[in-house]
Amino acid sequence: MSSQNEYSAEYAKIQDAQDPLRHLRDDFIIPTRADLKRKTLAEDSSTASEPSTYLCGNSLGLQPRLTSKYLNSYLSAWATKGVLGHFTEIEDSPLAPWLHVDDDVMEPMARIVGAKREEVAVMETLTANLHLLMCSFYRPTKDRWKVLIEGKAFPSDHYAVESQIQHHDLDPASAMVLIEPPDPSSPLLSTSHILATIDEHASETALLLLPGIQFYTGQFFDMKTITAHAHERGIVVGWDLAHAVGNVPLQLHNWNVDFAAWCNYKYMNCGPGAIGGLFVHEKHSGVSAGQENATTDGKTPSYRPRLSGWWGNDKSSRFRMENRFVPIPGAGGFQLSNPSVADLAAVRASLDTHAKTTMLDLRSKSVKLTAYLQQLLLEHGPKERCYEIITPLNPEERGAQLSLKLREGLLESVMEHLEEEGVVVDERRPDVIRVAPAPLYNNYSDVLRFVQVFRAACERAAKGGSAETNSLMVNGGREEKGWGDVK
Amino acid sequence: MDINTEEYAAHQDAQDPLGHLRESFIIPSKADLARKTLQPSKEHTASQDEPSIYLCGNSLGLQPSLTRKYMQQYLDTWAAKGVYGHFKEVEDSNLVPWLHVDDDCVPEMAKIVGALPSEVSVMQTLTANLHLLMASFYRPTKERYKIILEGKAFPSDHYAVESHIRHHDLDPAKAMILIEPESQSTPILSTAHILATIDQHAAETALLLLPGVQFYTGQYFDIQTITAHAQSKGITVGWDLAHAAGNVALKLHDWNVDFAAWCTYKYLNCGPGSIGGVFVHENHGKIEESQSGEPQYRPRLAGWWGSSKSSRFAMTNKFVPIPGAAGFQLSNPSVADTTALRASLDVFKLTSMEALRERSLKLTQYLQDLLDQLAKEQGSACFSIITPGEPEQRGAQISVMLKSGLLDAVMESLEAAGVVVDERRPDVIRVAPAPLYNTYKDVYLFVKAFRAACQQASQDGGHGGSIMANAGKDERGWSEVK
Repeated sequence: MSSQNEYSAEYAKIQDAQDPLRHLRDDFIIPTRADLKRKTLAEDSSTASEPSTYLCGNSLGLQPRLTSKYLNSYLSAWATKGVLGHFTEIEDSPLAPWLHVDDDVMEPMARIVGAKREEVAVMETLTANLHLLMCSFYRPTKDRWKVLIEGKAFPSDHYAVESQIQHHDLDPASAMVLIEPPDPSSPLLSTSHILATIDEHASETALLLLPGIQFYTGQFFDMKTITAHAHERGIVVGWDLAHAVGNVPLQLHNWNVDFAAWCNYKYMNCGPGAIGGLFVHEKHSGVSAGQENATTDGKTPSYRPRLSGWWGNDKSSRFRMENRFVPIPGAGGFQLSNPSVADLAAVRASLDTHAKTTMLDLRSKSVKLTAYLQQLLLEHGPKERCYEIITPLNPEERGAQLSLKLREGLLESVMEHLEEEGVVVDERRPDVIRVAPAPLYNNYSDVLRFVQVFRAACERAAKGGSAETNSLMVNGGREEKGWGDVK
Repeated sequence: MDINTEEYAAHQDAQDPLGHLRESFIIPSKADLARKTLQPSKEHTASQDEPSIYLCGNSLGLQPSLTRKYMQQYLDTWAAKGVYGHFKEVEDSNLVPWLHVDDDCVPEMAKIVGALPSEVSVMQTLTANLHLLMASFYRPTKERYKIILEGKAFPSDHYAVESHIRHHDLDPAKAMILIEPESQSTPILSTAHILATIDQHAAETALLLLPGVQFYTGQYFDIQTITAHAQSKGITVGWDLAHAAGNVALKLHDWNVDFAAWCTYKYLNCGPGSIGGVFVHENHGKIEESQSGEPQYRPRLAGWWGSSKSSRFAMTNKFVPIPGAAGFQLSNPSVADTTALRASLDVFKLTSMEALRERSLKLTQYLQDLLDQLAKEQGSACFSIITPGEPEQRGAQISVMLKSGLLDAVMESLEAAGVVVDERRPDVIRVAPAPLYNTYKDVYLFVKAFRAACQQASQDGGHGGSIMANAGKDERGWSEVK
């Protein structure tokens, strides 16, 4: 093995042939190079095109082949049953009656995040879920009012926390503590630095909110250790798992995480903006028959306060005729409205695809795949190395993604060349590109091709180029809302 | 001509200038409804394709014919473009790049609710939107802390308000004021009674939250008068428009409504659980610069999708909301859902809410006239109408209260006749001729089937075979999901 040249098509092919998960690629639709370039949906008569090198599943996951089938089934059910679709068991449909579409995905979703079924709910969107969870878990007092988050948090998390603090009439300047890198030369946050920052503010801190995997650096935080450490100091711990779900094996229940939320359009491949998910540890979500409430006739059950809606209500017959809220025990009790069945059809399709493997097996492949990417970048890069890997090199400290910081001024030209060659990655201005070999559908050949094209792109860019570029990713939606961050 | 004849109904349908809109929808056939499979069986013949009498659009609207086409375009774009779908213009698609899918729906959505485009956003779900709006608009003080809503509110609104009050560490028993009907004999809330209740609590009231159209009675509240009255007492006014959007001709901007929220799966025909909508009056959506240069705006729970992408803020996590309702958005929206919304709005574009309302008034009046006739026939032995008789006080829906014990048998008979309506236990059925796709013939055939159903129910009490009445009985959301 050591005598073999890793930087070769033969080597990559051998690795691919030996990969026990290689067949999962067939369950996804990989855009071809012609697909990406074409200005129409209708295919033209151009010659058959090779698959693109799509390493952007950390931003938008590719479409499972099942999705079209399931979405069309849903449309057929709606078309032929109308409102009866809520209840009707349809023999030739892969989907549950609509009343049950969300319950139907709880079990497989829970497995992916390492939770018990009742600890998970598929609902709303990531940021809405963060707000709903914070309304329940962030209840500042005179003594504990601070929220700790990382310094260059994904904008939505920053805005969500900031607005929650303002919502309680507190001043973010004192209540919002940002964990900044100790050393300006690296954007990484070591576990010890995080713990030290927690210690610095512990007695005044109500909540710690961190990403399982940081969107910019790709760093995978030591969720178990950090959670335990914060708990010892009486701090509630929540995790934003946007980049972690479907990427790395999680053990939310065993790690004693208080709450978490995620989106499903990255490594979960459910389509842009698809319905999100949330986790609430079972220790927080029990519902018990409460004390006699002096102001009402019946007993007021005891449960963690939360913003409520009918979809979180336990439909027990004794409450049928009154507007009396008793939450479903577990994460389900945090639901508000009946969910989008179109989105849940895509979630079902994704989970049915995931069901062919396990997070542990995916992670095993992912570690090797990303290690291969790293090896090629460090050992077979362009003669003049014009980039550094800012993601931790320790596989335990990252997921699938590597973030590459380019030398100043090269980004536009590099992205243009990559795109021209049918390589899809994304960028974070001004200098970072993110490359994410997704274990479900990427392979060694993808990684090799990326490095080959990237090498050429760097060499070309280094010779000189303008900041003007034809890169769709760099230019697309530039002046618009969500430009940089939507990917 | 006797209105209670198929000829009369056919005559009305033939003259109807909006009759062609029905073709824009997929009407389930009776065989479709009865079948347990998506695909018809081999024995299926075209003669079984008689359309059902689907008067349940107030619960789940029918599917526009465009929806599947647009959904396929969305799937094809995702499949062919991956992440580029956010930016790339696709020439043969009816859809815009994903970055713009919600904004793309706003102008038409705004027309439907009578608002400026800047006052409307497409986002989240109805109850989530109510919470987000209350987080901004319900900011209780020692003096003003009460929330007024109606007594038999839709459960979600009741729970949302109650939990929001508790969220502020207040006691719902004191802070939550329910407007109950003045008399036992009718569930209708007269405008005078609503205003009187407001007056009773005005000085202590922060917020009034009512449904534009009441889900149970079908009553259409006088939004303009009630809003003005409450605001004159310093009360903020929000409206839940679940049963009003796409049903009645709203003028949220002119009526000075503070905020509103709705779902899109009823009269807006976007499919079960589809993405919701929000209205925030432009008075409340402004961004102003203070003397220190800091932007001043109405506080709200924020997220990146509501953030203004101004170049000077590009590199920092500094939140400045987009002016208007868009500044209340949190996350990037579901493109699958906005695709269904686009398809639906492309049908609404063929007409106007004024024209639809005009049609609806006639259609529902026809239903009422036939029911009145039937009631006379039966000596009012079987049912009464609980929806207001004045057309201005209702939308498309008429709620019929059956005599005790008849519901299950009536529902069973109706279903056997291919009629789809829904019920609210113990005794009410709701019948809603949707102005976009129902016909006079639908209404005529409904009353015909209802007549027979009443007769049957009175005679033998039925066998409990109604899907709607039975289904999901012990499950979460049973009654209310429809």
